Formats: sequence, structure tokens, C-alpha cells
Amino acid sequence: MVATQIDPTTGFLDRYSCLKVAADLVARVRESGQPLAALWIDLDRFKQINESYGYLSGDSVIAFIAQRLRENVGSMAEIGRVGADEFVCLAPNFTRDHAERLAGDLMHAIETPLEIGEVHLRPSASIGIALLEAGDAPFSLLERADRAKISAKKQGGNRYVVSGDELVSGRAGTLLAREELAVEYMLHNALETGGLRLNYQPTVGFDGSVLSVEALMRCTVNDKIIPPVKFIPVAEKTGLIVRLGEWSLLEGTRQARRLQDAGLRTRVAINVSRAQLLDKKFAQALHAALVCANVEPELIELELTESLFMDISNTVQDNLRTVRGCGVSLSIDDFGTGYSCLANLKDIPAGKLKLDRAFVLVLPYDRRAMSVVRAMVQLGKDLGMTVVAEGVEKKEQMEALWDLGVDGIQGYYYATPMDSDALFSWLKEN
Amino acid sequence: MTTGNKDILSARAEAPRVATLLESAIRDIGIPSRPSILDRINAEMHKDEPDFHHLAHIIASDVGLGAGLISIANSPYFGFRGRARSVNEALMMLGLDVASRAIAGMILRKLFPPSPALDRFWHASAIIARLAGWLAQQPANGSRVRADDAYTFGLFRDCGIPILLNRFPNYPTVLKNANGERELSFTAVEETECPTNHAVLGSMLAQSWWLPEEICLAIRHHHDYVALGQQEGAAVLPPATLGLIATAQFAEHLLQHHTGLSKTHEWDKAGAICLELLQIEDKDMQSVYEESAFVIANDN
Repeated sequence: MVATQIDPTTGFLDRYSCLKVAADLVARVRESGQPLAALWIDLDRFKQINESYGYLSGDSVIAFIAQRLRENVGSMAEIGRVGADEFVCLAPNFTRDHAERLAGDLMHAIETPLEIGEVHLRPSASIGIALLEAGDAPFSLLERADRAKISAKKQGGNRYVVSGDELVSGRAGTLLAREELAVEYMLHNALETGGLRLNYQPTVGFDGSVLSVEALMRCTVNDKIIPPVKFIPVAEKTGLIVRLGEWSLLEGTRQARRLQDAGLRTRVAINVSRAQLLDKKFAQALHAALVCANVEPELIELELTESLFMDISNTVQDNLRTVRGCGVSLSIDDFGTGYSCLANLKDIPAGKLKLDRAFVLVLPYDRRAMSVVRAMVQLGKDLGMTVVAEGVEKKEQMEALWDLGVDGIQGYYYATPMDSDALFSWLKEN
Repeated sequence: MTTGNKDILSARAEAPRVATLLESAIRDIGIPSRPSILDRINAEMHKDEPDFHHLAHIIASDVGLGAGLISIANSPYFGFRGRARSVNEALMMLGLDVASRAIAGMILRKLFPPSPALDRFWHASAIIARLAGWLAQQPANGSRVRADDAYTFGLFRDCGIPILLNRFPNYPTVLKNANGERELSFTAVEETECPTNHAVLGSMLAQSWWLPEEICLAIRHHHDYVALGQQEGAAVLPPATLGLIATAQFAEHLLQHHTGLSKTHEWDKAGAICLELLQIEDKDMQSVYEESAFVIANDN
């Protein structure tokens, strides 16, 4: 054991002792091959507490928080006070799961309201977690925990971040996790090297006619496919979604034109994001696409989630008016899963309602879901809308939906998303 | 923006004819996705060892493109001593990046039916592109933009204009009004009569042809002087984009200075901001005027 000194306010190891214990633990754990976790805990806004209430109150707060830390950690780990409002917790045998659970418990314990004399607080903390890695120098474990803690602070505090998951500043200045940063890089690359394309999935009517084809964006960089579930959230965070959306708008309208030239008057449905509708230049971009592709607006449909129709901001409402005014049609995507008020549905200027795939998934065996879908179909039809179901993969789902009266079905049961050439062949065959 | 009063008047007079031409040509085709020849060139460029002979063969399969590329390589702006006599030599001299973008510019032009008004527009764009490329290489230019990016930006900056000219019969009048406007931004004037503007349209076209991000952004914002001046609340643009916009605007000013073509009030609105971004002082202006004359005089 190493000789240690105790911090009088908290009863924890002081800074110097904590560093010595860390070095000792790292050496011992290395020999045994056990895991070791370090948690760097930093109270949020502590400086303001000291400035507002004085250092004596600050010390009292620290003593209370220390008590809470001790109660939760017990004998599982060593704790040191490494700064005025910073603690390090060294937990042998802790895997990532254990460490995250402990961090969650500590945050919960810390945020219980505190009353010390006149001071009424709801404290919170930012925690950085690092797991010992092969080749870690004695203090690099703590350095990584500290960096992770700084990342947690930058994200607004009151959270924990595991080393390696820190957010770093992306190209547009947005804070991103490392994996997201890689995706952002690939998106920029795709935008400059032609890594984007649209696939198309038809919606088929009861009589087999094609009501529309939905344009779905695909991204490939250096032969690596990046799934939409990965690149769409990053695009939304970084604002790149507007550029992707505009590209999709132009490419989708061009596809409508190509179809028209081939004698196939098929409507192309293009997804529009919230960020696009909040952009003051959305109307100009939509018209630019129509002008550039030289396509009839009636052959274009824009798909928006229902919450966007409810957005009361002037920009969104102006943009929706523009869409209506130029002859492009609107459809409500993923209907039924948002929090919109049904009473507002009558005011939505959409011609098509797309039932969310969550309802389709449980058909036809979930009788309650059947009732809900029946009601939604009736509601949509009474309001003069075309009602379509998406995500249909099985014959029994398809049969149930036709029985319930939907006007169209989109899903793997009829056709998977396909590239432009395959779409032409499919349309000609069907 | 580049089309001058003279051009506008001509364009205006010829508007019905342009519209008629459209009926039979552009109106039927729309502006296509990135032409496949560019994809083929791009695919070859990204190989570890691009096959120049194969590339030259692809390009030379279109006689107009091959001849155009040789002509660009021999343009004095690029300053090569030797003269390219074949597409292969032109590729070697220009490098694949510049060559592919120059080809993109030529293909863009070929999409539109020829007309005197459009010919003058393309001619002005080509000179502005060369002037911008030349300016980017001048030691006095503090914006540090790449010469080939400045050249490409010059070619594509106003590519929305011919499309609008061909789609909207009243666009020549809109252009004339925008050119004469001293207060409002150029695009604001366009939007009073058209549902879109040439900057938004041009940037979307450039994006769909996979041009670099800085260039697409520069096309989008080249009349957005609030953003150019980096004022609070305006779009935040990367330094390279600001440099491209300022360089091309200065190039257009030089064209006006030397030829009287491309008369607009854009320099009155943005000249001071552009010079500040380029870090060019008033005392340097005379020498820039003098030294830039050869780029226009050697126009071929």
C-alpha cells in the first residue's frame, strides 16, 4: 500500500494521494489482468455557488456531496478529491457496464435537492469514464477520464461520457461523437464525389395501378454503404440535411421527368425534412428543382411528418402555402405515431395519409390495432384523403389492409426500393 | 452576375426567339443530372494510375469537347509555354481536376441552344473565370483560394441565369431591373418576378453535378452581401467560399473596367467588402488594373 493523505473536508484521498493510488492500482491490475474504471466527477456550476454564497457554504456543499458519493460507492472503489469540486473514483473490477451504472447512480444521488442554511440547490455533475486499456501509461487512464468529463461539460453537463465516445467539433462546428464525425466526413465526401443516389419504392393501388413511387436516399462512400439510420441523424445534427434534401428534391423531380419522357406519368414522392421547411429559401429551392427538371408540379409529391404540418412558425406555414400554390401535392408520412391533435387534421392541406408501419407490423392478429387502423382509414377518407399503408411485408397484412379499405400499399410485399433503371423495368412489367 | 446592359438589351429583343427555341429544345430535355461522360472521367481520375490515353479517347469521342479542352489548355491564362496539340497533351498540361471541371463548363454551355445573347453570356463567364483564376494566383490576393476553384466558380457562378432566361419569358426584363438596382440585392429583385433566383438554382445544379462544397456554397451566396460581410445573424460561410465570391466579384469588376461589359451595380454594393476580404488596398488597384489587361487582351 502507498502512504496517503486525507482531504479534511471530504474525508477522501487528497489530490496527490489519489494520483499515487491510481498509479499503484494500474500496476497491480495490469499484473492480474482485471479491468479497472476511472470516473472523473465534476460538479456543475460550483463556481457560481462559491461566488454567490461564499466559500464556507461551498465547503458545506462539497461535504454533503462527498457523503452521497461515499454512500453509493462504499468499499467498491477509492475516491479522491482532485480539485475544488472534482473527484476521481477508481473502481477495480469494473467493466464499462458497471462503470456506466455507477455513474448513473452517482448522478442520481448528486441531483437530490440540497438545503444548507440559506442555500437551496439542485446540484448536478458531469462525469467522464475511462476504462484501463492495454498500454495505458499510469496517468493516461485519468487523462482520458478527464477529457471525457470535459466533453460531458461541453454538452451542457448533467451527463456522463465514456472515453472514446466524446463529442468533438465537426466541420460545421457541431459537437459529434467520433462515429458521427466519421459519418459527417463521409457525407461531405458523398456530396462531392457522387456518393448519393435515390432508390424508388412504389405504392400500389388495389387494382394494381401505381399511385406513386417514394424516393429513398442511399449513400455509398468508397464502396461502403452507410445506412440511412446512420447518416440521416448526423445530417440533421450538422445541418447537412438541407443540402441532402435539396439534392433529393432536384434528383427526384428529374426522375419524374425521365418517367414522363418514357410515357410513365408516375408521381414521385420526395421526403422533406423539418430543417428544409424551416429554411426561408425552401420555396425557391422547390421552384428551382421544378424549373431545372422542367416537370409538371402535379407529378411531384412531398412527404412530411404530421408534426411539421402542426408547426405554427411563419416560415413553415409560408413554405406549405407555396407548395400548395404551385400544384405540388403533400402527404402526411408516418401518420399515427406523433402527438398531433386529430382536430387539426381537417386543416392539413395534404392529399394523402400514410399510416405508420408500426400499425401494419401487428396486423392482422392484433384486434385493437385493426380497430385503430379502421378508424384512421375512415377518418382519412372522410377528409377526402387517399389512405396508404407502408411497411407491408406479408400477404396477410396486405389482405387485412385491403379489407380495411386502404387505397394503396407500399412495402416489400409488392416491391423493394430499387434504382432508377430497375424502376423503369418494374413499371413497364407492372 | 455577368450579363451586361448591352447583353440584356439584346437578350430582351431576342426573348421571343429564345422562348421559341426553348419550345423545341431545352423545354423538352430539362437540365440533366451530371452527364455520364463526367462520371466516366471521374472514375478514371480516381484510379491509382489514371490512364490518360483512355481518358483522352473518352473526351475526344465528342469532337467539340476535345477541341474545347485543347483551346483552354492553350489559353494564356494558364501560362503554359508549350501548346497542346492533342487532347492527351491538354490533359497532361491542365491536370485531371481542372480538365474535368472545364469539360463540365463546356457541357453546361452545350445544353442550351445557341443564341447571340447567350453566346455573350458564356463569353463573359469564360473571361470572368479566367480573370478569377488569374486573380487567385496574384500575391496581392490575400484570400488564398485555389486558382482552379476560382476558375470553376467563375464558370458556374451564374449558371442559373441561362436556365431562367429560357424558362421565363420576362426574365430579360428582370435581369435588366436587377442590374440597375442600387439598393436591393440582385436575387431579391429576381424574386419579385420569378419564383426562384439564379443563385439557388445554380447552387442546386452545381450540387447535382457534384462540384466541391465551397463552390456550391459560393454560387448560393454570391449576392448575399450580408453573409459576405459576415454580419451577425447571416449565414456563416467558410473562408474559402468568401474568398471565391470576392475573387469572382473583383474579376467581374475588372471585366467592366476593361471592356465596359457586364455593367451592374454589384461592385458598388459589395466592392468594399470584397477588397477587404481579398486584402487588396486602394493603392494596389492601379497595378491590378494594368496587370489584368493581358488576360482579356489574350482572350481566345
